[in-house]
Amino acid sequence: MVGRTRNVARLLAALFGVLLAYLACVQVIWGPQLAASPQNPRLALEAERIHWGRILDRRLTVLADSAGTGPSQVRRYPQGPDFANVLGYRSRRYGLTGIERRYDLALLGLPLTDPWEALQEVLGRAPQGNDVVLTLDAAVQAAAVRALGGARGAIVVLDPRTGGVLAMASRPGFDPRAIDAQWATLSHDPASPLFNRATQGQYPPGSSFKTVVLTAGLGSGRVRLTDAVTCPESIDVAGALIHNFEHEQFGQISVLQAFVASCNTAFVQIGQRTGAASVLAAARAYGLGQAVPYDLPTAGGYLPPLPDLGVRGLAQMSFGQGSLLVTPLQMALVAATVGNGGVMMRPFVVSQVRAPDGRIREAFAQRGSRRVIPATLALQLRQAMIQVVQRGTGTAAQLPGVTVAGKTGTAENPHGRTHAWFIAFAPAERPTVALAVIVENGGVGGDVAAPIARQVLAVALPAQTAAGARP
Amino acid sequence: MTIEARPSPPAGVAIPSLPWIARRSAERGLVVAAGVLGILGLVAVHAAMYPAESWDPVVASAVALAGFVVVHIALVVADNRGDEVLLPAAAGLSAVGLVMIYRLRPDYAVRQAAWISLGLTALLIALGTLADLRWIRRYRYLCAVVGLVLLVLTVLVGVERNGARQWLVIGSFTLEPGEIVKLLLVAFFAGVLAEARPLLTLPGPRRWRAELGRLGPLLLVCVGALLLLVFQRDLGLAMLYYGMFLAMLYIAIGRFDHVLAGLVAFAAGAALCYHWFAHVRVRVDVWVNPWADAAGRGYQILQGLFALASGGVTGAGLGAGHPELMPASYTDMIFPAIGEELGAVGTFMVVALYLLFLGRAFRAAVRADGPIDGLVGAGLAAALSIQTFVILAGSTRLIPLTGIPAPFLTYGGSAAVSNCIAVALLLAISDRGERAAADARDGRPNP
Repeated sequence: MVGRTRNVARLLAALFGVLLAYLACVQVIWGPQLAASPQNPRLALEAERIHWGRILDRRLTVLADSAGTGPSQVRRYPQGPDFANVLGYRSRRYGLTGIERRYDLALLGLPLTDPWEALQEVLGRAPQGNDVVLTLDAAVQAAAVRALGGARGAIVVLDPRTGGVLAMASRPGFDPRAIDAQWATLSHDPASPLFNRATQGQYPPGSSFKTVVLTAGLGSGRVRLTDAVTCPESIDVAGALIHNFEHEQFGQISVLQAFVASCNTAFVQIGQRTGAASVLAAARAYGLGQAVPYDLPTAGGYLPPLPDLGVRGLAQMSFGQGSLLVTPLQMALVAATVGNGGVMMRPFVVSQVRAPDGRIREAFAQRGSRRVIPATLALQLRQAMIQVVQRGTGTAAQLPGVTVAGKTGTAENPHGRTHAWFIAFAPAERPTVALAVIVENGGVGGDVAAPIARQVLAVALPAQTAAGARP
Repeated sequence: MTIEARPSPPAGVAIPSLPWIARRSAERGLVVAAGVLGILGLVAVHAAMYPAESWDPVVASAVALAGFVVVHIALVVADNRGDEVLLPAAAGLSAVGLVMIYRLRPDYAVRQAAWISLGLTALLIALGTLADLRWIRRYRYLCAVVGLVLLVLTVLVGVERNGARQWLVIGSFTLEPGEIVKLLLVAFFAGVLAEARPLLTLPGPRRWRAELGRLGPLLLVCVGALLLLVFQRDLGLAMLYYGMFLAMLYIAIGRFDHVLAGLVAFAAGAALCYHWFAHVRVRVDVWVNPWADAAGRGYQILQGLFALASGGVTGAGLGAGHPELMPASYTDMIFPAIGEELGAVGTFMVVALYLLFLGRAFRAAVRADGPIDGLVGAGLAAALSIQTFVILAGSTRLIPLTGIPAPFLTYGGSAAVSNCIAVALLLAISDRGERAAADARDGRPNP
């Protein structure tokens, strides 16, 4: 009986062992993530008690701070509402979005790990949340918003060397202070002002995708820039006629010329020579078709699976049409990868979390990288993209004294006029800025998106030089 | 701090009585330590949360904790040689319970202090009247009948509180009969099994009819109790009684096929309950995915998880968290409430106190003198272990939540009385066991 009593005791002790291990998981290992759940009302209760941390741009310009205490505390936006799609809103009724949501715990200064701060709180000092420093540059963001004007669309500007996002505009925007008052209007507006087009808008890429097709062709060795292709006005693919934009035709040209002039019928041939599998592999290597890991929610876009791609599917994909969908962030990363010698830096927008006294709690110079294409291939693509701006479809992006490399896109879509795309990086030799511009139903990429890119580059390049000159 | 450390008295001499001051000195120190820690906690809660309110709850709780010292003195006077950690561990858990109840429901703190005092009184009375467990041999069936009658009464005239548990209302008091029935069933199982043991553990071919004849009443009572509990939706108690039954059956008879049959029956019963009863399905579904109905049925268990998670390692501090967000924070969810305000440090300490108490209870059972003592000790130890695990693991979503009081911790009078009586019985069992062991060691004949 003694032995069996011990057995029962051992069994029950094992159960308690499991309980302890589980408690360690819930309270210590999963704890922070679980506590940060939006379903946890403790955060909202804590938020009333804490003076919310500020959100700053990379020059520590205040983008969001707050005034008042307790239930009357409100967010203020000294730089205006241009940053709303990144910062998000902080509403007692409708919750949090954007950086406010993702960095809620940091902005509330939770959990209180510093014993000194805990003591001060006991002594009655109103607790203060941490400041979150972004990679955004207020001047570049303002330029991007200004450049888009009243158009619907998005601009993503990033530093190809680090992946740090300099600007991320999505138009139409919203005033985060007016969320509670205008919720019904904002949430039902057909123009979707609350929707962050820069990371979640999914569009056909149009000819900007030719950068990916050319990558696949050159990378597979089946296509060279000097190879000859024909650029007829239209081409017959399995019984369907594919036309060039505005019925252009250039006769026999090189692959490079086809890229520079953005000839669809020539790219159908380039796609055929390259093969669907290689094109899809290159697209996947650039991260298309999958959600980009980022500080804000991102959409993945769509890559048709290989078995679904018939001969016609491949032909349409060769100039960025068909069922393909991409986000502006993804296309900005394509440009950045080419500009950065074939290495893709993981994009990020939060560079530091700072204690209220300015001490740095967390800091990121970058969030990881991945080689997408060999450096030699990136060099070839860069030359091709330089030509696009120098003498091709993207001349409207030219800037005095700077070599800009880019690719235009004019994407047909079921919603009316074509979407105007432009992806670019500059200075082409040592890029400090890469960007993607899309204007929904804006028309022709080279006419509409390229000038916008030029305006943004005109602000972003000096801003980068100034930032690089600082210690 | 252990009793074995004392030098054995010379052989052939009756166990000498130590001078009073030297008896149970480890227990004295530990009980005082538990009481002091409890009072510090109460003062901290008072200062942090109710500085302008009356000190009555603190004083009442301190008096209740002082009751453990009184029990200690009574044990010294009675020259109890039993385990010296059981009482302090119970005191420690009661102290944590008082502190948390004062923090969560200050209006209930004085009452909980009264319940603990009542429980300690019951402990002393039980030490004086029930300690010699030979009464079980005579009254074992009476125990079963009284237990079943209490359960039937609960079904017939019970009042539902908190959706599941049933209470008997007597005047202005509510009685939770399940806690008392727990003790009665342990006594009944122990009585029947101690009697059946010699026959059923004989070597040789199985005697099915005899076996059934001996164990039949046991099965009957067990099934009857389970049916009544399922009928009144008290799944926690059902699990407790059944686990108790299986553990005692295994300990007494030691046949693996019993255990196997018991587990199969449990699985079948659980499956049937899931199939037949919507409330069982709800409990299980909410356990599997509380997020599906986060604001409704999953609210309580999710808030429990958030409480634990928000507590982290060191906790928010007494009064600085939001355990009031949890429904039933001072009863079923008291453990996550501890986790929120005292952190993993607090929950691990509480589990450690439980393991200390339960380990010592099993130790008393292992060292018990005779089968009745051994079975009652093991039954109580197993019952309290299962009960503790069911509510601690349930309130933290390790297993589906079924409401049942956490021994010594949860608010409630019936539980306080019943658990204190269990402590009394364990102390008596331990006392006889140690005396018998000392006799055997010193070569004295067993009286």
